[in-house]
This record gives sequence, C-alpha cells and structure tokens, in this order.
Amino acid sequence: MADYLKLDGVAASEGAALGRAFVHVPHELKLERESISKDAVEDELKRFKNAIEAVVRDLSDTAERLREGGSESEAGIFEAHAEMAEDPEFQEGVEERVRNLESPEAAVLAVGEEFAGMFAAMEDEYMAARADDVRDVASQIATELMGGKKSGLETLAEPSVILARNLAPSDTARIPKGIALGFVISEGSRTSHVSIMARSFGIPAVVGVGAALEEALGAEIVAVDGTEGYAIADPDPETISHFEQKQRDIAAEAALLEEYKHAEARTSDGRRIEVSANLGSADEAEEALSWGAEGVGLFRTEFLFMQRPELPSEEEQYEVYREVTEAFGEKPVIIRTVDIGGDKDLPGVDQPEEENPFLGWRGIRMCLDIPELFKPQLRALLRAAPHGNLKIMFPMVVDAIELRAAKKILEECREELKNEGAQFGEVAIGVMVETPAAAIRAQDIAPEVSFFSIGTNDLVQYTLAADRGNERLTRLQSADHPAVLDLIGKTCEAAREVGIWVGMCGEAAGEPAMIPKLVELGVTELSMSAPSIPRAKKIVSEL
Amino acid sequence: MVEREAVVVPEAGLHARPAALFVKEAKSYGSDIVVIKDGIEANAKSSLKLMTLGAKHGDKVKIRAEGEDEEAAVDALVAILSKEEE
Repeated sequence: MADYLKLDGVAASEGAALGRAFVHVPHELKLERESISKDAVEDELKRFKNAIEAVVRDLSDTAERLREGGSESEAGIFEAHAEMAEDPEFQEGVEERVRNLESPEAAVLAVGEEFAGMFAAMEDEYMAARADDVRDVASQIATELMGGKKSGLETLAEPSVILARNLAPSDTARIPKGIALGFVISEGSRTSHVSIMARSFGIPAVVGVGAALEEALGAEIVAVDGTEGYAIADPDPETISHFEQKQRDIAAEAALLEEYKHAEARTSDGRRIEVSANLGSADEAEEALSWGAEGVGLFRTEFLFMQRPELPSEEEQYEVYREVTEAFGEKPVIIRTVDIGGDKDLPGVDQPEEENPFLGWRGIRMCLDIPELFKPQLRALLRAAPHGNLKIMFPMVVDAIELRAAKKILEECREELKNEGAQFGEVAIGVMVETPAAAIRAQDIAPEVSFFSIGTNDLVQYTLAADRGNERLTRLQSADHPAVLDLIGKTCEAAREVGIWVGMCGEAAGEPAMIPKLVELGVTELSMSAPSIPRAKKIVSEL
Repeated sequence: MVEREAVVVPEAGLHARPAALFVKEAKSYGSDIVVIKDGIEANAKSSLKLMTLGAKHGDKVKIRAEGEDEEAAVDALVAILSKEEE
C-alpha cells in the first residue's frame, strides 16, 4: 500500500495540479471594541460610509476584471455583492445600531447575520445559499473598518495548491493570477461559488472532501485530480511522476482540441474526410456541434420506441427528426430507421422467443413485415426533410431485394403524403453495410443508393462469428482483422464504381489506429461519439 | 399614494436577476416604494429585503408608492413583474 493520504471528493473543476500546499485559515474577525462613545457617533457613521464605498469599489473592479476575461456569470456574483453592500436597508440597520452606540464593525456583522439567518431559514435552496453571500459582504465591510487586515491569500507569492474549509468569492478573487494551482475544499458541491470560479479560471478543484481535509493540513505537497475528484497529500515519487504525466497529457489534449475542433479534416494529398457524430437522441445535437461535428453519421431512433406502452406517433417522430435536422442546418443528418431485434421488446409487436436474436427477426426484416411500424417513421422522415439535410439509412440489409422492398414502401408513403397535400421533401437513401452479404455483393446494392455507411460493430461480429459481448473473444472483436478490412475494401470499391460515397459509423471509425487504414481503403466520412471528433480530425490531417 | 396588485411572472420569482432589475428601476424614482406579500412589507429599493419576501413565480404581491412620481413608479414596477425574463 502506498504511503500517502488520499482524499476523495467531488470533481468540481477538471484538470490535474501538483504543488506546494497552502492552508487558508479564514481570519477570525476579532472585534477590538463592541461599543463607542456618544460623541463619536457622527464620525463612526462617516467611517462606515467610507468603508462601504471602498468595498463596493473593490467588488466592482473585480466584476469588471472578470467580465473582461469573459467570465460573465462570475462577474454577476460580484455585482450582486456590491449591491448588497450598498443596500439601503442593510445600511439603515447598521446606522441605527451605531446611533445606539454599537461599534460599526460589530453592527455590520450583526446586521449581516440577521439577513443571513433569514435567508438560511428559507426553503428555497438558492435563497438559503445567499446567506453565505451576505456574510461574505458583511465581513468584508467589517475588515475594511478595522484597517483592512485581510487573509494571506492576496500576498501569496509562490504558486500553491490551496486547502481550505471553504472559499468565499472574495477570497478566490483576491488570489493573484497564476498563484492558485488547485483547490482542495472540505465543504461544497459542484455548484458552490468556489467550484464555479475554479471552472471559470480553469483551476483544477476537488470539493466536499469533508473531515479528511484536517488530516492533510500538515502536507507539504498536494496533488489534485479535478477530473476524477480526488487529492493526494504528500504523494510518493511514483504518484508525482504519474501526475506530471497527467498534466502533460491534459495540456497536449487541450491544445489539440483547440486546434482541430472546428477545422476541416483533409489529408496531405488533399482528400477531404468528413468527421461526424453518432447521436442517440436530439438533445445531444448541441454538444456534438460544440465538438466540431460536421454532421450526424448515425442518428439512432430506437430511443423513440423503447420502454413505452405503444408505438410512437408519426407526429412525435416528426418533431424529433425535425429538431435534429434543424440543429445541423445544411450539415447532413443520417437517420437510421428503427433497428430493434428479438432481444428487445417493441410495444404492440408480438415477438417470438428467438434462439439467436442477432441472427433473427430484426432491423429492416421486421420493418418490412410490419407496415404500421415502418410507415409512420418513413412519413415522419419525409416530412422532416425540408427542414435541413436529412438522409435515410436502412439497417441490416442483406441484399438488393430488401432494399427495393423498403424503397417501395417509402414510395407509397410519398404518394400518400402527396395525396394528402402534406409538406415533404426529397431524401437521399443509403444502406448500412453491416452484414457480410451486403459487403461481398455491394456492387448489387450500390447502383440503387446514394451512400453506404459501414456499421463495424455488427460487421465484425457476423464476419468473425464472434459474439460482441463474449469476454473470451476479444481478439475477434476488432475491425482490424484482414477479413473485415477486405469487406470494407470491397464496399468502397463497389461504391467507387458508381460514384457514391462510403462512411463508417461503427466504433472503429473513432479508433486512432483504424482511421489511417479506413481512409486508405476509401472511406470518406467517419462518424463517432462526439468527444472523439477533434482527435480524429487531427489524425486525418497528419496523413 | 398609489397601490396596485401584480402577479409575479418571471420564472425565477423575485430574486436573482429579476430582483436586480426591479431594484434598479425602483431606485430611479424619488417616491418611497414598498412591495407587500402576505401582509409583510419590503422596501422596493433593497434587494436584500425583497429577497426575504421569497416571492415566487405566480405569487400575488402589492406595490405601493408614495411621492411625486408615485404613479409612474407603480406603472413601471408592475410592468417588470408582469413580463417574462428575457
């Protein structure tokens, strides 16, 4: 067992930090005097006014600095604090106490505590949290009144990991730039001020470590993993080098993200590769775009059909397809018709028990047999088409006979919509190549579609006869097998013959080691989970 | 003196950003202005007091102003409470 102390907490701000520990002890405001003499009242009131002005100036400066740095919501915290300091009721409360011969610093803390008590007693969690804000403001004014002795944070010169019970916004803002390497905080959650500030400044933070912090206060060096949510006090050399590596990786990753995220991926010989996202619901569209998705290579529609008593209506489906299509504007959105097999229940469909669900009645096979399942989906897709660049993809196709049957039903839907006078658009049709049969005879299918998209997960499992979930078969669960690569190559060749493009939407599309091989074979669109996009673009650009 | 009833429309109720807007507007009038909820009065120019009212979306409050610009003040403040936050 390693000889160090591990503190588990909440991952509040991602990143890794390693450095000298600085323990922040909030200075106890020691009141030098509780009361004043009668003839001092006017002077004390004036001092109180001046103290408020100084604090408001400080807070407004901080707000402005944050706003200039693009931290809008953090700036808002300080503006709210400035407003509290200037609050007429707050001031009146203090002035009244001073007239009753209380010292202004004692009065400020007392009135602050009154308001804090009222907020803390409120049921609303947001309001209860404002108690700490009032206390923070009151203690700043009191500190100013007592000559401005502040905590050690603003004089901290050596970059440090800061350990504290909690940090008020005013504490965090006082730390000179570049000095706070990380935060380890015993209280708080992801939504505490300190967490929000840490994220906004890009400082790794772990909060809510609890009483364990007490044991770490004597540490010289502290390592913080704000991504996983733990800190290590006095790490051993091995852990230190582990953290240093982690920091290098994170820095490299961040640079990579920035550089490639929104760039177009092009190989050195000029081949353009589109890098898209696989989505499982319309809610994921925005995040995918923020990772630099150039479209949706696979929109799974199964979520619409699962865990519900009846099939989704055409209208409900239309809304979802339109939403995701609109979110991507001119960028292509490939929507796969529902691919459910005997291993999952479909509402209102009588599914027989099957010995081999993956070789059973599923995907396009089931859709062709159940028009009341297939047609509402196709009609919804045709109606959503005018809202962007929508394409339809059929799953589990084995041969051109299935494709033609599906296209025939699509044609019927088009006729129906036309007769009803409904709005609908033209859509490109593609086939998901995931059966060996479709790959081997891709030349039969290619002339009748606009694109292919290779689904490697199933293609691997069917080609290598290896169950995806069987842990003993890991060697046979990779697309990087000559048999699978041959099938990908054949698919690309057949596509080239008739001038259509080939994409890939299986896991292999996002695997760094596979990308060069796929591009070499002729795949021109790679679709993956969104966070893998920047890395994939980088790999393509280096080919 | 002018007094009028209003329903709090902003989703967030009378705290956070809507409160800040409300207070800012209130401060631009010379009149004394109070917000009354369930018989409890709060100075409309004090966000701390206003927040202690805990007025939520859908709650009924009264706004009362007294002073030279009382009419305009009540009009403006009722308008702020009656519209969705942008």
